[in-house]
Amino acid sequence: MNPRLFSATVLFLVAAFLIGPFIIIVAASLSAGETLAFPPQGFSLKWVAKVFEVESFRESFAMSMLLAVGGTAAALTLGIPASYALSRYHLPFGEAVRTVVALPIIVPGIIVGLALLRYLVVPFNFNITLALFLAHTALVLPYSVRVVSASLNNLRSDIEEAAVLLGSSRAGAFFRVVMPNIRSGILAAFILGFVTSFNQVPVSLFLSGPGVRTLPIDMLSYMEITYDPSVAALSALLAFMSIGIVFLAERFLGFSRYV
Amino acid sequence: MFHSRAEALALALPAAVFAAVIFLAPVVILLSEGLRNADSWTISAYTGFLSDPLNRTVFLRTLKLGAMVTALAAVIGYAAAFAIVNLPAKGKGRMIGLVVLPLMISPVARTYAWIVILGRTGIVNQALTSIGLTDEPVRFLFTETAVFVGLLQLFLPLMILALISALENMPKDAIPAARVLGANWFQVFSRVILPLTREGLVIGGTLVFTGSLTAYITPAILGGSKILMLETLLYQRVTVANDFVSASVIAFILIVMSFAANLLLKRLATARSKR
Repeated sequence: MNPRLFSATVLFLVAAFLIGPFIIIVAASLSAGETLAFPPQGFSLKWVAKVFEVESFRESFAMSMLLAVGGTAAALTLGIPASYALSRYHLPFGEAVRTVVALPIIVPGIIVGLALLRYLVVPFNFNITLALFLAHTALVLPYSVRVVSASLNNLRSDIEEAAVLLGSSRAGAFFRVVMPNIRSGILAAFILGFVTSFNQVPVSLFLSGPGVRTLPIDMLSYMEITYDPSVAALSALLAFMSIGIVFLAERFLGFSRYV
Repeated sequence: MFHSRAEALALALPAAVFAAVIFLAPVVILLSEGLRNADSWTISAYTGFLSDPLNRTVFLRTLKLGAMVTALAAVIGYAAAFAIVNLPAKGKGRMIGLVVLPLMISPVARTYAWIVILGRTGIVNQALTSIGLTDEPVRFLFTETAVFVGLLQLFLPLMILALISALENMPKDAIPAARVLGANWFQVFSRVILPLTREGLVIGGTLVFTGSLTAYITPAILGGSKILMLETLLYQRVTVANDFVSASVIAFILIVMSFAANLLLKRLATARSKR
């Protein structure tokens, strides 16, 4: 076969395989029928509207947002100083710190959720929302350290030394010289952390209780009971949200440099 | 440098202590639970776990699906990455964007699409009935095939991206040189492309393999309780039977496999930076 034609065929098939399901979900969510079907039966926005009417979706969306924004902010608050210390100083236990902080990316999330449930929530009657928040913070921490470290390593350390020599305090040099220079790295870390936390399922599986549920977990349990297109509509809306975020991030930050 | 040691430690410590207390300690206690029986240390939980035929089936199925997904992802990944690398700059950027995009979309949403496609009233079944191949809808959901397809769709982008960067780092004239010297396409692949992109293949393969082994969403939605994988088995053991010992054993197996894969990756990364 002609190599050009072969390439074109491969690209078309791969694109169809990767993006096709998404297009089908969008189409199925615009159906007027009562059950999930493709091609959709008629056209209506009723399932999209229904997503906003389901009480539990609203609650779990708020919970997921809170975890994604708050957890990522907390992870950055811990991660930025740690990345700074790791990149600017030969710490005695630098390697150990780096490993411990990177662990949550390696250990499967379901195990973390289970361990927190069993040894924190149950014995100490610990608040589940707070446990969920801590778990999401730990989950995002490796990403924030990695991305912020990468932008710190690209920044020459002599400019902050110059600031200190010129009379700035060290904290002042950090906030006025270093921070403005790694701002886009921090923003990229925030977006990556947000998307990771928001889409995360395994960590949150065991950490749910009355009124405490993340959106993806809520979707999983909703689709066990009903077979209507509202989950498709919600999936499509979430996908559009992710695409929007990534598109803006790419446009303004060149996000893919950091991922 | 003129930071003091104490200062640097004070900056790094909160993150490290947080990860150690919130993350490391509970996981270590969980793992130790599978090694304790009353007051002594024992591996009986492990031998007991593996002697149950259902557990063995799930364990082997998880390995098998992981290996199959990785193998097919590598084949498709090479073809796709090769085609993408040879595109003009603009088309290349767009195709890479298209490969990255699914990674940002919720895996629940991505997996849910397969219910629309493979379900009883899904596209595939409608097509099969309308051309008269079957009268009854064929059961695709809750089969290994469905889980396989779902996992492949979820993790293929990671393989393609790893192979794109490997192919871009390959010397530009290696392939034309081999062709001029009379190699056919099969020889070009096995003797030139494969050895030169082996690291990328291992990186992509490790990501796809560990991703598949530790997948929860795909087997939960597309496999149900019929096609259990290790993570869905763990969930079931805890929620249905309150069986924390088996959960600890499964956790240990998952962690060992993830760590082995990560160690391999790290070793490759250092080997590369030394060169």
